[in-house]
Amino acid sequence: MPLGIDRRLLLNVDWVLLGTALILSLVGVAMVYSAAHTGGSPDLHLKQLVLVGVGLLGLVGAAATDYRRLADRPVLLYVVSVLALAYVVRFGPLIAGTRRWVVIGGFQLQPSEFVKLAAAVVVAKIFAEYRQESLGLRDLLWPGAAVGLLGLLIALEPDLGTAACLVPMLFTVAFLAGLRMRAVVGLVVVMLLASALAWPFLRDYQKTRIYTFLDPSLDPKGAGYQKIQSQIAVGSGGVIGRGYLEGTQGQLGYLPARHTDFIFSVLAEEMGFLGVVAVLGLYLLVLWRMLETARLARDRLGAFLAAGITASLAFQVVYNVAMVAGLVPVKGLPLPLLSYGGSSVLATLMGVGLILSVRMRRFAN
Amino acid sequence: MRLYEDLRPVRTRLAVVQVVVAGLVALLLLQFWNLQVLRARHFQDLAENNRSRVVTIAAPRGALLDRQGQLLVGNRPSFNVVLTPEHAEDLDRVVTRVARTLGTGEAAIRERLARRRVPYEPVVVRSDADIAEVAALEARRLELPEVSIQVVPLRFYPLATAAAHALGRVGEISERQLDSPAFEGLEAGALVGQAGVEAQYNRALMGRDGYRRVIVNSRGLEVTEAQRQPPEDGPAFTLSLDTSLQMATERAFAGRAGSAVVLDPWTGEILAMTSTPAYDPNEFATGIDPTLWTSLANDPETPLMNRVIQGQYAPGSTFKIVMATAALEEGVITPETTFFCPGHLRVYGKVRHCSVPGGHGIVDVRRALAMSCNVFFYHVGMALEIERIAAWAKRMGLGEPTGVDLPHELGGLIPNPEWKLRTQKTAWYPGETVSVAIGQGQVTATPLQMARVAAIIANGGWLVRPHLVHSAGGGGLDFEPPRPIGISEETLAVVKEGMKAVVAGGTGWRARLRHTVVAGKTGTAQVVSREALERSPDDPSIQPHGWFVAFAPADEPRVALAVLVEHGGSSGVAAAVARSILARYFSQERRPAAPPPTAEAVD
Repeated sequence: MPLGIDRRLLLNVDWVLLGTALILSLVGVAMVYSAAHTGGSPDLHLKQLVLVGVGLLGLVGAAATDYRRLADRPVLLYVVSVLALAYVVRFGPLIAGTRRWVVIGGFQLQPSEFVKLAAAVVVAKIFAEYRQESLGLRDLLWPGAAVGLLGLLIALEPDLGTAACLVPMLFTVAFLAGLRMRAVVGLVVVMLLASALAWPFLRDYQKTRIYTFLDPSLDPKGAGYQKIQSQIAVGSGGVIGRGYLEGTQGQLGYLPARHTDFIFSVLAEEMGFLGVVAVLGLYLLVLWRMLETARLARDRLGAFLAAGITASLAFQVVYNVAMVAGLVPVKGLPLPLLSYGGSSVLATLMGVGLILSVRMRRFAN
Repeated sequence: MRLYEDLRPVRTRLAVVQVVVAGLVALLLLQFWNLQVLRARHFQDLAENNRSRVVTIAAPRGALLDRQGQLLVGNRPSFNVVLTPEHAEDLDRVVTRVARTLGTGEAAIRERLARRRVPYEPVVVRSDADIAEVAALEARRLELPEVSIQVVPLRFYPLATAAAHALGRVGEISERQLDSPAFEGLEAGALVGQAGVEAQYNRALMGRDGYRRVIVNSRGLEVTEAQRQPPEDGPAFTLSLDTSLQMATERAFAGRAGSAVVLDPWTGEILAMTSTPAYDPNEFATGIDPTLWTSLANDPETPLMNRVIQGQYAPGSTFKIVMATAALEEGVITPETTFFCPGHLRVYGKVRHCSVPGGHGIVDVRRALAMSCNVFFYHVGMALEIERIAAWAKRMGLGEPTGVDLPHELGGLIPNPEWKLRTQKTAWYPGETVSVAIGQGQVTATPLQMARVAAIIANGGWLVRPHLVHSAGGGGLDFEPPRPIGISEETLAVVKEGMKAVVAGGTGWRARLRHTVVAGKTGTAQVVSREALERSPDDPSIQPHGWFVAFAPADEPRVALAVLVEHGGSSGVAAAVARSILARYFSQERRPAAPPPTAEAVD
């Protein structure tokens, strides 16, 4: 039943999830307008609106696809992902010191955003195939190696933020698949050790970011600048905000990357604590509905797929907002649905589509 | 594929994931509560600090006018190129571009940037830029947003070097001044008076700066103005200077080093004050170029020094006015007392010479003044003794500053035994009194002090306080009124007769005017000993200074003056300078409406 327009499928569409995601996307368009209308490209919000439209098409397409069919060819998905990433790392155009994009017909696409979805499918498939009740660390080897290669390629672009999204995805699915608690604890220890060992291999700018996160006054005009200015923007918003288009930090350009990674600062400045509560509430609702889908899924594959996508999305939202609030070091990670950026919006909405697909098919077949 | 999988353990663990997600979002909300509710005020202040800048609007300094209301010092608009380093993404590149556009060295710009104290304060990288430079920078406005042009009033001295020492100059406030209470509230970079009237009345002339609070974007470009406090202009000051007399005084020196000051003998108002060589205060108005400063400060001719109040010279024979007054008042001589002058006198075992080798024969006090007979005053000095000489010199305003309204005035020196014991730890020799009697030895006086001595004889025995400012912002200034120092009419008459004879047929004949009776006294201040001068008579740097002090018209005095020509050789040059000043003054008085004739055309 290709593109099966089955009435039973339509009955099970999660309209709440779809509607909330759509509202967040439109809030994103409004915030992109506020952040970018005075700058060099004043009509970014229109582009973003078009991208949301394209994203909705992708969402419908993903929802219409049976996730089980998608998961039938994990090797193909994986190989295509690896090849795409390898191509970008090797041949992608150098933009701002990184190779993250491919240019197709005049459009810049970020393969890593879509690889995250492919990885979610592959991981869900691998864990769904395990039949035992509880898993040990050894069972993590295969999926870990598979995801590790993808993460490594993304990190080589370099795009540490996106690569990092794969980690919570893998561990959440592993946890749901029955990873023993002993192994969970062991993993946490290993991760802490690994981050300590990774320190000498970090690039200088990455180390600087961590230093200045710990003490922004070290370099108030440089690496500490973003954190300081973002906190000023957030704090000065107060309870009710400075008003739409009235935030001085954003409008006068003190906030860096304000239409992309720091769009939530603009929102916090202009809409205040009330706006923050509202938007975080919407995100919580989206995540909650996604996890609900995982809970209601008819099979382990659907549950793991929904949980994997949700984990990666939750990580992005939490990390980005924590970064805006000055809680974690600055890392180039967009806020899904709000930040300007075609690949992110498209991939996020497609992810939502996949989750819709899982829920639609909970009674199917 | 099995139709039913056991999903219960998955669901249990999903609940854990849900709790974790909800917990993380709650944590985030806690932080936003902290930032946006608890600390909102703090961050609002920081945001305000970020976006608003206070830009001062310099108040134009008060103008200086002469007694007829003619402009002596004013302001003109000028353009400053300013740069805010914090707003530059690549400061090196900006500096290079600005230097290329302005055609100046990068080092000078970097040096100015390095001197700055306050962050975010724009630094003036070029003051008084010309219109072509301003246009070139405005054309690059978008490429160089961190650079901007400020229009500021600049001090302007239309007379250039004339009266430069009296009017003074402005300059950037120094580190030392910043720390002193007199300059409280001023910030680095402020232009303040650094000499002359500009320094003396600095605070009043400055007015009060205004400010603008402007909203700027992250690149420092002004977006809007939020608040404006207009500046209060400094009030105009009217000085007692008379521009045409001042110019005549300047011309009279014709390139010689020296100084002259002309007073109103009744009030102490200064009508003209010149000190040469001079400097052009316009060159200081923008903050002076260091090489020019060094050359001025190290010039052996000391152009920065105001010789009228800082030049301390031996008064030479002009001191005989004081000696004659003291001797008559103390009763040491009467107007009829005579001495015989053979051309020299042996005192305390040493032969002392008179001004002419053949001597003056029998002289009374009038003739002694007229001919500047030393022998007469050797006798008078020995009779008076040093204490009474010093007391009378002090009474006539010597040995201490006159209190003129100018900074850094020096007081000259009137020596006495107590002073000598204190400073040189030796006793007073009677022979020194003989030197003092003819204004040599340790005695020194400034031209302003000697002009005031002439004024005392002119005005009937009143000590005036010399001053330059007549009124400020429309209101008169109160100076200490003249006070009588207790000289009898008879003494004054005798001294005046002697001084008239100086010009009428004595040593000061070069100062004679056709229509006006001038009373004066010549003097020479030896720079080296008589023997040294005889050894190399042609060395200009060891020639004695020439003095001439005078008042005129002798019987209805309107001006008193002192002229000192450095290394003039004799008093003759000084008398000639004085004559050309007086000629100018009295020709102008007679024909006020006529076009100003030159000094030489009248006589």
